[in-house]
Amino acid sequence: MNLERLPNEEKLSLCRKYYLGGFAFLPFLWLVNIVWFFREAFVKPDYTEQLQIKTYVKRSALGLLLWIVVLTTWITIFQHYRAEWGEVGDYLSFTIPLGTP
Amino acid sequence: MNVSDSDDDIYNERTALVPSENPVLPSYRPDSDVGLQNDSPTKRDADDEELTLKYGAKHVIMLFIPVTLCMAVVVATIKSVSFYTEKTDQQRIYTPFTENTASVGRRLLNSVLNTIIMISVIVVMTIFLVVLYKYRCYKFIHGWLILSSLMLLFWFSFMYLEVFKTYNLAVDYPTVGVIIWNFGAVGMICIHWKGPLQLQQAYLILISALMALVFIKYLPEWSAWVILGAISIYLVAVLSPKGPLRMLVETAQERNEPIFPALIYSGVKLGLGDFIFYSVLVGKAAATGGDWNTTIACFVAILIGLCLTLLLLAIFKKALPALPISITFGLVFYFSTDFLVQPFMDNLAAHQFYI
Repeated sequence: MNLERLPNEEKLSLCRKYYLGGFAFLPFLWLVNIVWFFREAFVKPDYTEQLQIKTYVKRSALGLLLWIVVLTTWITIFQHYRAEWGEVGDYLSFTIPLGTP
Repeated sequence: MNVSDSDDDIYNERTALVPSENPVLPSYRPDSDVGLQNDSPTKRDADDEELTLKYGAKHVIMLFIPVTLCMAVVVATIKSVSFYTEKTDQQRIYTPFTENTASVGRRLLNSVLNTIIMISVIVVMTIFLVVLYKYRCYKFIHGWLILSSLMLLFWFSFMYLEVFKTYNLAVDYPTVGVIIWNFGAVGMICIHWKGPLQLQQAYLILISALMALVFIKYLPEWSAWVILGAISIYLVAVLSPKGPLRMLVETAQERNEPIFPALIYSGVKLGLGDFIFYSVLVGKAAATGGDWNTTIACFVAILIGLCLTLLLLAIFKKALPALPISITFGLVFYFSTDFLVQPFMDNLAAHQFYI
């Protein structure tokens, strides 16, 4: 799908759909939105819909950042305290490493 | 094999190589404009031929990259993670004849029987799909494709996460859930709806690699080799003038409709089944062959076969099966390297004899 060939309203609509879709626990979708529409939003010369596309890209970036913070915090906590949590730790684990740390 | 029928459909319908309707290069066919009227017919023919071959060369290179990437992912996984090479002794529905028998002859017979079963399932699925397409049951086909890609993207990638066990990492269920959900959902959006072209191609390569890995794990040893050989022969038969696959491709072209995006890699259109079977061949060479010699030999053989097929495509200009030539070369190279070249090299190295 080549963005160049789309009219501006369709670009806006696509960006908006990707932005809204990211709310379904899909930070990856927000990342794709940012990378894909970055040029459209910040590098290309101005056109009418560009301001809205910029807003969506910025908000996607914000959402992505939030997710990264949450995930990193959770993963750090889990890795650190997993052994101490005993049974709950095991219950939460998908793979349990062998041997002693 | 505990995969659903829809998978057969995916990997058999995707094994056709079709010249794309809109070549990437601008077609600078000399129009009958001023200044070209003096061209003799022979010169124009020579130009056309040259243009056709240039078109072919660029696309050969464009196809090398995704095919190489797919094979690289499969070989890397096989070499580093033992999960995909652990043999499962369970019987699977599609390959009910076990290979754990005492005599060589019995084992061979069983693998041939397994192959016959697989190929007949594929034949039935092909005919079913063509009938559906002819009678314009598009919704059914779409639903089927969505179901199969759902399974590929979620279930098989969940299986792939076994790789964490190899690296002895602790991973928790919530993180796994988020990763799989993101990978799968964005994949579905990119492949079946709209998404950046490179991401779509990356996803197609990844699901081909996942599918190839599943095949390598669940097909018994000898059956896999016989199936590879049989599929190449089957495709030659099927893309012949009366065959169902050719009917499918031609009907799509007549109706001027794009063939379903989930089945084909864009550019010169290479079916995903081709990716899968090339990777199965190289993956098995990596898993069971002696060492890197065999793997690289098969890799080179497949690329040479691909070049030849594309050349034929440029000459004949109609839908061709991409598998037969490459798989034949691949099989020949695998067996000859494994049984002839490998012991030869080992002996030379052992005696420190350099040629």
